Amino acid sequence: MAGGEKISIRQFTVLAMFYTIGTTILVIPSTLASDAKQNAWIASIAGLLASMAIVALYIAIGRLYPNTTLAGMLEAAFGKWLGKLATLAFIFFSFVGGSAVLYYMGNFMTTQIMPETPIGAFIVLFGGLVVIGVRLGLEVLARTAEILFPWFLMLFIVSALFLLPEIDLANVKPIVGIGLKPIAKASLAYTGTATLPLVLFLMFFPAALNRKQGAGKALLVGNVIGGLFIVIVTYLSISVLGADFSSRNLYPSYALAKKINIGNFIQRVEILMAGMWFLSIFFKAAFYAYGFAAGLARLCGCKDYRPLALPCGMILIAYSLVVYPNVVYMMDFDSTVYIPYAISTGLLLPLLLLAAGLIRKKPGGRTNE
Amino acid sequence: MKNNDTKAEPIKEELKENIQKIKQDLGGSDDIIIREITFGKDDSAHAAIIYTDGLADKKLITDFILDSQTQKSYAEELDREADRDNLLEALKALALNLGDNKEIADFRSLYNAILSGETVLLLEGYSVGIAASTRGWKDRSVSEPVAQSVVRGPQEGFTETLRTNTSMIRRKIKDPNLWLETMQIGKVTKTDVAIMYIKGIVSDKVVEEVRARLDRIDIDGVLESGYIEELIQDEAFSPFPTINNTERPDNVAAELLEGRVAILVDGTPFVLIVPTLFISFFQTAEDYYQRADISTLLRFIRFISLFIAMVGPALYIAITTFHQELLPTQLLISLAAQREGVPFPAFIEALMMEVTFEVLREAGIRMPRPIGQAVSIVGTLVIGQAAVEAGIVSASMVIVVSITAISSFVITGYSMAISVRMIRFVIMGLAAAFGIFGIVVALIALVMHLCSLRSFGVPYMSPFAPFVPADHKDTIFRLPHWAMSTRPRLINQRNVNREQTSKPTKPADRNNQGRR
Repeated sequence: MAGGEKISIRQFTVLAMFYTIGTTILVIPSTLASDAKQNAWIASIAGLLASMAIVALYIAIGRLYPNTTLAGMLEAAFGKWLGKLATLAFIFFSFVGGSAVLYYMGNFMTTQIMPETPIGAFIVLFGGLVVIGVRLGLEVLARTAEILFPWFLMLFIVSALFLLPEIDLANVKPIVGIGLKPIAKASLAYTGTATLPLVLFLMFFPAALNRKQGAGKALLVGNVIGGLFIVIVTYLSISVLGADFSSRNLYPSYALAKKINIGNFIQRVEILMAGMWFLSIFFKAAFYAYGFAAGLARLCGCKDYRPLALPCGMILIAYSLVVYPNVVYMMDFDSTVYIPYAISTGLLLPLLLLAAGLIRKKPGGRTNE
Repeated sequence: MKNNDTKAEPIKEELKENIQKIKQDLGGSDDIIIREITFGKDDSAHAAIIYTDGLADKKLITDFILDSQTQKSYAEELDREADRDNLLEALKALALNLGDNKEIADFRSLYNAILSGETVLLLEGYSVGIAASTRGWKDRSVSEPVAQSVVRGPQEGFTETLRTNTSMIRRKIKDPNLWLETMQIGKVTKTDVAIMYIKGIVSDKVVEEVRARLDRIDIDGVLESGYIEELIQDEAFSPFPTINNTERPDNVAAELLEGRVAILVDGTPFVLIVPTLFISFFQTAEDYYQRADISTLLRFIRFISLFIAMVGPALYIAITTFHQELLPTQLLISLAAQREGVPFPAFIEALMMEVTFEVLREAGIRMPRPIGQAVSIVGTLVIGQAAVEAGIVSASMVIVVSITAISSFVITGYSMAISVRMIRFVIMGLAAAFGIFGIVVALIALVMHLCSLRSFGVPYMSPFAPFVPADHKDTIFRLPHWAMSTRPRLINQRNVNREQTSKPTKPADRNNQGRR
């Protein structure tokens, strides 16, 4: 459903990076710290390694079907009706994911920055932005990511540098005091939030890339760079805030930014650092919405997904107001339901897709390669 | 449209009838001069000379056409031409020793010729006339460009005459590949519009596109290049200009050398340049005449100014309203003390001051020159000081608005500066409602909009997005000329190499050279 849109390898790398960082950077240090305590950063590295394996799976699928979108792949592998059913599963995944991200955004703003503004205001504004993005299309989103990336990088480097003096190494000791199981569980949470949603990139990967060569590498590189950002943030939040505080804080990165104090002059700059998360969360939300609109368009046989941007966005906004009734529910959902759900959509379905694709290709497909 | 049909009528053989018709069609306008003359042996040849007073160069007409001495010599010459059928040819060859003349056969081109300043010669017994190029009218002389002045660089600007302008470009680029195409646009004004490009450097697709878009124009009049700009731009609804304009010939020459197309419109010194990138509005001709490091620094300053001009007041509003913790305590206290007596929220305060400033600026441009002093006094004293003392706005707000205003003047492209002024208000509104979150949302939306724009097929935000590494030698940075070896990649894909000058090196051994 790419509709002739083409993006470059570089743009794709940046998109994959932004998408990996997304909301992860804001919430994951807390989840990691609650499971793996002071070893949360090790868990994030483990998660990063696990992510690479998952990305390899997506790349393999991309190699198998270089010229079609996710919906096309599913139909080619499972047949028309089963394929449509599987597409529906992905559409639902992006729908839930998209509204959850919008809720995160609104919740972050109302709980941390502007408590008196109703959450709906933030969600509608941000949702409107997402609608504009999807409506302008993949190419524009990719170019936007390319322009905004240096700004994100600048904010990140500045905040990381400013936090260096605050590091207290006692907070990360003992280094292997926690068993393997909590680390495995924590890394699963990392993978579920950061990498498994990347399955939606199959909607345009690698069909919409102007060069197929190096496309897989781009996805991997984007994911790993994004993962490195998260590892750094996790390490900083454990070493500066301590495991206990990190795990009890809903948004430890934000609390982290509050700690910045350079010569009693540069301090309390957390709102400027928040700009960085607004960027990454925007791309996460935009690509969930893109997956929702593009998948729906494909399912209904529409030629273009762009006219669906506004209605899809409206549904997302409306649903995001009710997706989580409250924060307690959100935390409960994220730690119990979401991870298995993400695994089923982001890992099991693609595995099935790959298996079915390989079996189908075998008899006569060799010549295609 | 009956009028149009009659105008396309062919010229008749009878001179009297032709003159009658011309007088009738032009409503007997006094500035159309029709002189009937007779010449040749025994005055056998009757002719009429028609021109527009004021548009045609009278001296030229007197010297070459009406001068009795010349006529006599022509007559002698003509006598030698026994064949009377060839009178017209002979006249064309001999009589009109003027730079350029052409035959016309119908009234439409006759009127067109006369009204563009040419002199038409009609002969009894011939159904064709001769139009001699005698264009010459009172014209503003070439002077310093007003809108784009420089410290170092040529001090000449375009004028209102198309021919003068094309000649100024020709003087800079003496290459046979510099091509010029002229067309007339405007059903009533019949304005000459010329496109200029360097064949071999320009992308043919762009030239084709420019031609096609100009051909599509169907309008009664074109009075300034702004008409053309609005009629051919890519995106109709965008605050950002996708076509640049300049009144500097050196600017146009530089753009032509980069593979762009210049659109010149008769009657205005502002020349359009396509395709235009966002970055073009932050570069000046002078960047290339100064040392590279200084130019780079100045470009940085321009970008900082863009940022201040766009989000300066918005940031002030957001910080004082929502994010007071960002400010150092001392500053916060002093700000709070200043704002103590101010009855309005920061947003209203900022809005008032911004609107006042925009009004002042508009007044400064529109009012008669001698009153200029009055506005500046009223502006600085009354609105600056008195408003603060009266407690209507805080002093810090005045500072913010002033810095914003000055910053917006730094943006070199005037049309871009105007859009920034406009967008500022939207961002201020979002900042008032959502603080920095609102500003970031506005900026993301802005970047997305900019990325969606194209100018004649070239992405507006290139070379940022799509990122073209080679073009960054001349984007924010301005590398020395010996390092800028390629032309902008997206504007032109064929003839990319610009130069092969190597980096200047020091003489091998200065001491030795000195001794010799």
